[in-house]
Amino acid sequence: MLTCKEVLDSISDYLDADMKADLVAEMRKHIGFCSDCRAEFDTLTMTIKLYKHENDAKPQVMPVGCHDRLVKVIEIEKLRLKGGEPPKMV
Amino acid sequence: MPAPTDEELVRKSKEGDERAFGELISRYESKVYSLALKMVRNPEDAEDVLQDTFLRAYRGIKSFQGASTFSTWIYRITANSALMRLRKKQLPTVSIEDADERETPVNIADWTPGPVEQLLNRELQQVMDEAIGALPPEFRQVFVLRDIEEMSNAEVADILDLSVAAVKSRLHRARLKVRNRIAGYFSENAKPKRVMGAH
Repeated sequence: MLTCKEVLDSISDYLDADMKADLVAEMRKHIGFCSDCRAEFDTLTMTIKLYKHENDAKPQVMPVGCHDRLVKVIEIEKLRLKGGEPPKMV
Repeated sequence: MPAPTDEELVRKSKEGDERAFGELISRYESKVYSLALKMVRNPEDAEDVLQDTFLRAYRGIKSFQGASTFSTWIYRITANSALMRLRKKQLPTVSIEDADERETPVNIADWTPGPVEQLLNRELQQVMDEAIGALPPEFRQVFVLRDIEEMSNAEVADILDLSVAAVKSRLHRARLKVRNRIAGYFSENAKPKRVMGAH
């Protein structure tokens, strides 16, 4: 029988399904009857879901002109390595 | 004609083919920017990280041995560049060694039942944003790569040059920290405001 401390120490691995099947069964059993450990599990699960959902809802697109500025930076570096005169950044 | 693989583009870039490196930029710039933005949480800093990442890649491509894939290599440079930037800007907060004090919230309010969409209001989004911002940079890296980018522990370990055990430990502590912030928000607000039917 797992103690609460053992459950809490392994709760992230349980969340990630990153543990052996027999231990998973022990964890599930403990969380089934221990309301404190169940609250830990539920709130951690919901935390991850919230971040994932928030992230999916706002795509991180590059700002306008970002690609061109990056290409310019690399061109300046090319010239610098070749010992040439760098073009001016606009 | 099939698109060249990353390996082919890397090989050509090493030989001095500028167009091949340009193709690698086109292929990875959005992903690098997106990852940088999640870590530094500011578009200007994310663009600086993007430029720094590809500058370092351009300078280092000839010495890239291919022990890892190009994507792992470029994300590693991104993560390092973002970490440097975060450390430079970091307010005097807790260090990573001191960061695990009181991981357990005093009071966990009942805020988990119900769909995510109903919980996620603007106020909570701000709390979540602050919670990530308050994480030590080393924890934030792991949390972003693992729980937001959904990479495996092994991939994160490879990118951050950590052991899988260290990734797991940091991830667990990061999760507890952000969870505690959110739990604090719900404790203060008693129960989450549910969206009621229109009348």
